[in-house]
Amino acid sequence: MARPTILAPAGRLEMARAAVDAGADSLYVGPLGWSRRPYESEMGDADIRRAIDYAGARGADVRILLNTFPSPFEYDAWLDAAERYADWGCSGFILSDPGAIPRLRARLPQAVLHVSVGSGISNAEDAAFYRALGADLIVVPYRWGEAQVQAVRAQSDIGVEVFLFETVQTGKLCPGRCIMSSYLKFRDWTEMEGRDAFHGSANRGAKECYRVCQTRWDFGPIDVEQAAPSLKLRRDAQLMLEQIPGMISAGVRCFKLSGRERPTPIIRDLVAFYRRVIDGVLDGACTDMAAYAEEMRVLEHRWVSEKRKRVGTLMGRAVRYGEATQDQVAEPRQVSVHAA
Amino acid sequence: MFELSTDVPNLQALRGGDYDAFDALYLGDFSCPDYPKNFSSHPETLAEGVRIARDQGKRCYLRLYAVPSNHELDDVRRTIDAAMGLPFDAFEVHNMGLLRVLREMGCTKPLHLGVFGNLYTHETARVLKDYGVTRVYPNPELSLREIRYIKDETPIEVLVQVHGKIPLVISETCFIMENAHQGAETCSFFCSKSHWLTRSQGDWSLKDAGRMTLSGKDLCMIEHMDRLAEAGLEHFFVHGHGEERARVAAVGRAYRRVLNAIAGGEPCETQGLVEALSAFAEMGLCNGYYFESAGQHYVGRP
Repeated sequence: MARPTILAPAGRLEMARAAVDAGADSLYVGPLGWSRRPYESEMGDADIRRAIDYAGARGADVRILLNTFPSPFEYDAWLDAAERYADWGCSGFILSDPGAIPRLRARLPQAVLHVSVGSGISNAEDAAFYRALGADLIVVPYRWGEAQVQAVRAQSDIGVEVFLFETVQTGKLCPGRCIMSSYLKFRDWTEMEGRDAFHGSANRGAKECYRVCQTRWDFGPIDVEQAAPSLKLRRDAQLMLEQIPGMISAGVRCFKLSGRERPTPIIRDLVAFYRRVIDGVLDGACTDMAAYAEEMRVLEHRWVSEKRKRVGTLMGRAVRYGEATQDQVAEPRQVSVHAA
Repeated sequence: MFELSTDVPNLQALRGGDYDAFDALYLGDFSCPDYPKNFSSHPETLAEGVRIARDQGKRCYLRLYAVPSNHELDDVRRTIDAAMGLPFDAFEVHNMGLLRVLREMGCTKPLHLGVFGNLYTHETARVLKDYGVTRVYPNPELSLREIRYIKDETPIEVLVQVHGKIPLVISETCFIMENAHQGAETCSFFCSKSHWLTRSQGDWSLKDAGRMTLSGKDLCMIEHMDRLAEAGLEHFFVHGHGEERARVAAVGRAYRRVLNAIAGGEPCETQGLVEALSAFAEMGLCNGYYFESAGQHYVGRP
C-alpha cells in the first residue's frame, strides 16, 4: 500500500515554512485571485516561488490551487498561470472545472492533478468520470466514510484524498453545489487581486464565501405564530481522529488539512500532530486513537475558537459590504443546533 | 423559434395543471427522490406521464436525481432503464457520474445538463458534448455576457431560467425533516408547506424545499426578454418547484405573450406584467446574476 501523504495549507509564506518544518509532505497554496479564499489567504507570485524553493529543498513539494470556476473570458490567463507555476517547480494543481483537466493534462503531462472538493461529487461514478478526464486524485466530500472511499477505489484507480474532518451526515451540502453567498452579496475585486474580467462570486476567485451557512437563521413556515427556531444550516466540521486508521486501511492516498486562513501556530501544531498520528498507524507504533484524545481536545478547542472569529469576520463583511448601514453582525454562537 | 418550459414533479401535477403556455415539460423533481410519486424515482409513472405530455403537444424531458449517492445509483438505473424505451425527447442530468452510467447503459437520447451540473465554462461544455450533452443550463451565477460566450464558443444549446425561485444549493438530506420535524423517521411531505430561512440583519430570505434551498425572491426577467433574445438565447425556463399550479400557469402566459411579441417583431408593454408577477412574489423580485450583481438584486432596465 502506498504511504498516504499529508497535504498542508500555506496561506502565507510563514505558514508554508512552518508546515514543511512540522512534517508536511506537500503544501497547497492559492495564487491571488485563483483560489476559493479571499486575498489574505492567498499568495503573490514571489512568495509562491519562495515556498516552492523552500519545500523542494526539504523533500516536500507544492500544489497550486486553481480551483475556482474561471470565467470563460479568462481561460487563457488561467492556463498561462498554471504553466508559469509549473516552470517554477510546483508538482501539481488542484482544480474544479471539468474542462480544465484535459486542457492541463495535455499541456503539463507530468503534473499531479487533484479534483477539488469544489467539484461537488456525489458517488464513485463521478470519481471515475474525473479519472477518465485525466485527474490523479479526487477530494471526496466531508461526509464520506470508509465505505464510500472503498466504493471509489473499486470503480477506478483515481487516488482518494480526504479532509482531516470527521464525517457528518446532516446539513447543506457544501462546497461545490452552493451559491447562497453570491445570491446575497458580491464585492468588487481589490486592486491587489489584479482581475476585472467579470463580477465574481465565492466559486469564482477571491470573492470569498461569506459562510452564510454557519451563521444563525430563523427557520420555519412564515404563517406559524410561534417563534421560529434559530439555527445554522450545517453542522460544524470537527477535526478527524478516530476514523484515521480506517481511512488508511480503505486506501486513502492523501490527508488534507484545511486552514489557510488560520494562524500559523495552529497549522504548525496540527501538521506535527497528524504526522505523529498517521506515522504511528502506518508503523504500528500506535493504532489506538484514544491515546491522542486529550491532545485532540486541546487542538479542537483552538481550532473552533479561530473558526468562530473567522466566520464573524466574513459575516460582518457580508452584511456591511456595499451598504451605508448601521447593521452589525451578531457574533455567531458556539453551539450549532446539530452539534448541541 | 422559442421554447418555454417548466417543471412538473408527478402525475397529479401533470393532470391538474394548466401548461398551455409552455412548449416543453421537464418531468420529475431532481432534488428529492422521496417527493410523492416523483417521476424521477417512480418509473411506473413514466409511460403515463410522457403520454399525457405528448397528447398535449409538448416536448417532454425526464429529470434524473441530481445528487445520487453510491447506494442510490441502482434506483437511478431503474428509472433510466424504464425511460429509454419511452418517447422522451431528452434526459436531464446534474451529475457527471450519471453521464458515464448513461453511456454504459447504451442510452442514445440527447442529454441536457441541469442547473446543478456546475457548468461555468465553454471548455467544460465541450467535454460534456463528448458524453452526448446537447443542452446546458449554466450555473445561475453566470452573467448574460458569459452565457452568450459559452453558447457561441462551444457551440451548444443553452437553457436559462427566466422566472421563479433560483436553485442555490442542493443536499443529500432533508433540512426540514432534520430541523422542523425532528424525530420524524419517514417523509410526510413536510415541504408541501413553505418553509423559509430568514435573517433580519441584511434583510435576507431564502426558501427551503428540504433538500434544496431556493432564492427568497422570484427571478423575473420579463422586461428583459428582448435582450435575452438578442443574445441568441431561445430556450427559457420557468421554475415552478413548490409553487401553486395556477401561479405557474399565469407566469407562463405572461412570458408567452412577451415571447410571441418578440417573435412577431411587435412591441410589448411589460410594466403591467412586472406588477402582476410581483403580486405573486412573497419576498419580491430579482434579476439574478444576469447583469453582474448579486443574485437577489432587481436592477431594472439597465
